[in-house]
Amino acid sequence: MDRWQYLMVLGACLLITAPLEWLGGGVYRKPWRAACAVLPVAAVFIVWDVVAIAADVWTYNPRYVTGIELPASLPVEELLFFLVIPLCGLLTYVAVDGILARLVRLRADKARSS
Amino acid sequence: MTGLGYTLPAVVAVLAVCALELVVLRTGLFRRPAYWISMAIVLGFQVIVDGWLTKLSAPIVIYDEQHTTGIRFPLDIPVEDFLFGWALVTAVLLLWERMRLRDRDGVAR
Repeated sequence: MDRWQYLMVLGACLLITAPLEWLGGGVYRKPWRAACAVLPVAAVFIVWDVVAIAADVWTYNPRYVTGIELPASLPVEELLFFLVIPLCGLLTYVAVDGILARLVRLRADKARSS
Repeated sequence: MTGLGYTLPAVVAVLAVCALELVVLRTGLFRRPAYWISMAIVLGFQVIVDGWLTKLSAPIVIYDEQHTTGIRFPLDIPVEDFLFGWALVTAVLLLWERMRLRDRDGVAR
């Protein structure tokens, strides 16, 4: 079970943030925009990660990862990390933006009706 | 402690993301309350998730302390992780914001 720990942490992040999709304009329903925002940044950070792994700046505890490795000794969990965490950040931002916009509209409506 | 392996690139990443916004993209993201509120929420969750990943009792990610300042706060999180996380999430939000503004202005025109 331990080997799945890192993957489960990432899965939990996706589960917890999923409902945010409905609080604003959404991220998952704009897959093209989400991909254009996430992928270029993920590419840069993956290069950083690969260099850091090669230079032994950080390593991954074999106990808590599946052991599935991509080229350049990149654990598959790390690749997913750079997709999942930015998605969570995006979902948060779009949801907060949506809530703030609704509050502004509500206040404007109230001002008009009074 | 040389700080070169992680501390230096983490600082450079933050500066690079600031330059990306202030010089290249100019989306105005840093002036939006939604951004700062979101980053406060993200920071809160980073402490939980990153705290779990880096806890010294059973770490998932193991750092060579030669390459960091050695300062771990809060929990056992290397402080560099907060620069790393800020740069990662902010860069993504910048690209998202640029496309959002482009689409909006495209419709307005």
